[in-house]
Amino acid sequence: MTSDQDSFLRATMGAMDLVYNLSRKLVRTREEAEDLTQETYLAAFRAWRQRRRPRRVEPWLATICLNLARSQYRSRSRRPKEVALAEGAESAGGEDPEGLAMAALDRDALHRAMWRLSDEQRVAITLVDLMGLSTADAARAMGTPRGTVLSRLHRGRRALAGLLGVSVMEAGR
Amino acid sequence: MKSWWVRRRRHDPERNAAEYVSGELPRRAIRWFEAHLLGCEECWHEVMLGRVGRAMAEEAREPLTRGLRDRVRAHVQVSGSAGHPRER
Repeated sequence: MTSDQDSFLRATMGAMDLVYNLSRKLVRTREEAEDLTQETYLAAFRAWRQRRRPRRVEPWLATICLNLARSQYRSRSRRPKEVALAEGAESAGGEDPEGLAMAALDRDALHRAMWRLSDEQRVAITLVDLMGLSTADAARAMGTPRGTVLSRLHRGRRALAGLLGVSVMEAGR
Repeated sequence: MKSWWVRRRRHDPERNAAEYVSGELPRRAIRWFEAHLLGCEECWHEVMLGRVGRAMAEEAREPLTRGLRDRVRAHVQVSGSAGHPRER
């Protein structure tokens, strides 16, 4: 193994879980997500060998992954319908709304709910809530102002809560 | 007297809730905003929805599929060797 390979793998392998989860929210199938993850790492490695090395790898890998998804995968993915903002979310109140939410949903339902968000909302939520990026880093990765990311983030969260509201009502019947 | 944070920005429940739920409000702003929440139904509502949505999003994390780590590592190693034939 070359020193480039060694240093690259040591710096980036810990972030693969995050890159894979981002990929899962960008393309429809697990197989496509695996391919996108692999392509992200290969593109990142090419940059690494050219001495383009970031201070923090997570936002860097997220940016590469988003760019690849835009250029290669987006046309393949069916554009999801926009979710209306949370009419049913009123019913999610109570002492512990998060606990109620988790009890009412299984993972598949959650995955489907994520795909009912707009692309922009889903990406913002994935970068911030799943990958743990700051909204400033997410804004750089998405190429949008931070205020736009905050708006997409909150509307996406509201939409998810709205979808949850429906589930909670159904669970209570 | 209104705090520096309130004077600097308009009342924007969406943005404030997004920053608060993401843990990105400055410390002084958090203190003010939490006091504000007690009297502002609109902001309280947005924060509640934001917290639920964020909790759901965090639950959407999936484990790596089996073998992906090894597959990527192998491709990086092959790619590196192909690009630098003189390196060992």
